[in-house]
Amino acid sequence: MAVKSFKGGANVPHFKSFTDDKEIEKMPTPDRVVIPMHQSFGDPCEPLVKVGDRVEVGQKIGDSSEFFSAPIHSSVNGVVEEIEVLPYCTGEDAKSIIIRVEGEDQEFKPTIKRNPEDMTREEIIEAIHQAGIVGMGGASFPTHINVNTKEPVEYLVLNGAECEPFLTCDHRTMVERADELVAGARILSSVIGARKCLIGIEVNKPDAIEALEERTKDDDLFEIVPLAVKYPQGFKSIMIKSTTGKDVRRGARSAEVGCIVRNVGTTVAVYEAVVYGKPLIERVVTVSGPTIPKPGNFMIKIGTPVGHIFDHCGVTDFNDATVILGGPMTGRAQHSMKAPIIKNSTGALLLPSEIVRASEPHENCVRCGKCVARCPMRLYPNQLSMLAEVEDYEGLEAWNVMDCMECGICVYSCPSNRPILEFIRHAKPIIKKMELARRGN
Amino acid sequence: MAKKGKLVVTSAPFLKEEVFINTAMRDVIIGLIPISLVSIYFYKAYAVMLIATCMVTAALTEVVFRKLMGKEHSLRDGSAVLTGLFVALLFQPTVSPVTAILATIIAIGVAKELVGGLGMNRFNPALFGRVAMILLAPLFAGIAVKAPNLGTIDAVSKASTLAMLGGGMEMPGYLEMFLAYPGGALSESSPLALLIGGIYLYKRGHINWRVPVSMLGTVAIMAFLLGQDPIYHLLSGGLMIGALFMATDWVTAPITSSGKLIFGVAIGILVVIIRVFLPPTEGVAFSILIMNAFVPVIDKATRHLAFLEPKEI
Repeated sequence: MAVKSFKGGANVPHFKSFTDDKEIEKMPTPDRVVIPMHQSFGDPCEPLVKVGDRVEVGQKIGDSSEFFSAPIHSSVNGVVEEIEVLPYCTGEDAKSIIIRVEGEDQEFKPTIKRNPEDMTREEIIEAIHQAGIVGMGGASFPTHINVNTKEPVEYLVLNGAECEPFLTCDHRTMVERADELVAGARILSSVIGARKCLIGIEVNKPDAIEALEERTKDDDLFEIVPLAVKYPQGFKSIMIKSTTGKDVRRGARSAEVGCIVRNVGTTVAVYEAVVYGKPLIERVVTVSGPTIPKPGNFMIKIGTPVGHIFDHCGVTDFNDATVILGGPMTGRAQHSMKAPIIKNSTGALLLPSEIVRASEPHENCVRCGKCVARCPMRLYPNQLSMLAEVEDYEGLEAWNVMDCMECGICVYSCPSNRPILEFIRHAKPIIKKMELARRGN
Repeated sequence: MAKKGKLVVTSAPFLKEEVFINTAMRDVIIGLIPISLVSIYFYKAYAVMLIATCMVTAALTEVVFRKLMGKEHSLRDGSAVLTGLFVALLFQPTVSPVTAILATIIAIGVAKELVGGLGMNRFNPALFGRVAMILLAPLFAGIAVKAPNLGTIDAVSKASTLAMLGGGMEMPGYLEMFLAYPGGALSESSPLALLIGGIYLYKRGHINWRVPVSMLGTVAIMAFLLGQDPIYHLLSGGLMIGALFMATDWVTAPITSSGKLIFGVAIGILVVIIRVFLPPTEGVAFSILIMNAFVPVIDKATRHLAFLEPKEI
């Protein structure tokens, strides 16, 4: 079994043993859900319901006429209590629909069962669109746009790397829902006209590799690609390079290099959307952290507040801990226990202050070179941080700051504890503006 | 839903590798313990006094210079006392305490703090201080008092193996030289002890193999080509501490992998040229400092393409 890898990156402690053997359980429905109207890359949705309306599980409650958007559905049966602009887990504000849950039965009941082989390509894409499927690994790009390629695309790459520490939701999905995953991959492959479906999985998940090998060994469409355990293996362009050997050029969309990359959770959601018409109203979330009494992998309804989740997992004291939605390398720290799970929330983590990186103080760069050796985009993060410190935006552009995909490995590695990524995040919008101004002239 | 304790909100990444400047400096000091012990074994009170003098001077110099420049002292990062230890190891046990103190003051004050502090220095501070004292020796001839007599020890007055090599004297056996053999600077007393320290630093992830391997390899090959005994060259003088501890200094070595190789090879070539064709004193120190000056050029010439850069033109 040849293990594929990439240049750069580093071994970051996994912290996966808290949950990697825990079967996916259903999280009880909270009293209220908060559903933000902006859960995908692109434009936000407008609410289709008003205060006082009764809504059902799976009912569409938000949509947009813009191209880059995906509709949003109610994850519960209940009554719309309020619609207001609230901060949500991305750090931005969005119109959010607050639904008071009513009734015991909160399950989605499929009313149809379709055979994807009897459906046209357009029907399948429309089913994906109507179900509001977006990339569930973090990017939340609307899947119906992603798969609607003009030309056939050679490879469907399923991203089962799950390189972020703590997270095991994709791992458990691959082990427990391998049949639906393979069926979803067949649907996606047919839509994009893929010749080959590569499933990239880090070798620290041997049971996932085995489960998928077992189900795909007689099918030439599939190839399981074991990947080295290295962060950030699961980032899109790294994934493409590791699994297919292809280089992604600056500015090129992955379809142009013959690849469509989808997260394994998304692929299962596609299967359910196409076959059962089930919208994206719940997802597997890893609830973890060294101090959580009952960590696990849970099927959680979109809109469930993190406070409800930590209650269920036995957390009673926060003790200056940090609550993160997503993984510990790229996720977002939350201000409020009311912050809801959204479509791309891979994890809800509670990290005690002892293991959380202190943001202060930082020192001069001592040129140890770790960030340069580890940057998967082959940038010079040390240089970028120094240029950003003196606000040399031309210099930053010349050193390709816009290539940075913010994996955070530079900050993780820096012995001077330099906030390299904060510098870069601050500089990017300014450079984008400069670019636009130049194009305007 | 009421919970005790508040939430702390910071930005990603939330994890941090347990490597900081102070832990790295601490590890380098640990890496220097074997060679320090060997030199104390050979030179007894002379070595203890020299090491203590330089480390204390280094700490004081840093405090004073930073105070004068209106900055807080940064003793906690450990780089000052480490530089002091390095300076001590670069001297012979009988060096005048005045010389050692001046070298340390120049190392910390001039080569590090005056140019902006750790990270901003282009030259390895310890080597800079050591070499400055060679060049400035005539100026200080009057005040360079002799080292106090701390007992009669044969080892103290031994010629270094490098001097023996240059003078065509009869050399000790390879094994003896490799394990421990007194003579010259404190750091020249045991290649094995330095190697143990170097391997420790490598295992801890603080140094890269490229600089030591290319530097030592080049010296061996060059010596062989010039008809000299490569093994004696590898085992004598400041080569080992230079290759493992000095040329691998983060701040003053190239940042790219290929740059590190070029840097090591160039130092190796210079070392052999100086040793064979010039008076063989501090050849390693001069070679490393010369190449320190070329680091920006090497970094620029070896800048690698970004991942997304088009590979074919």
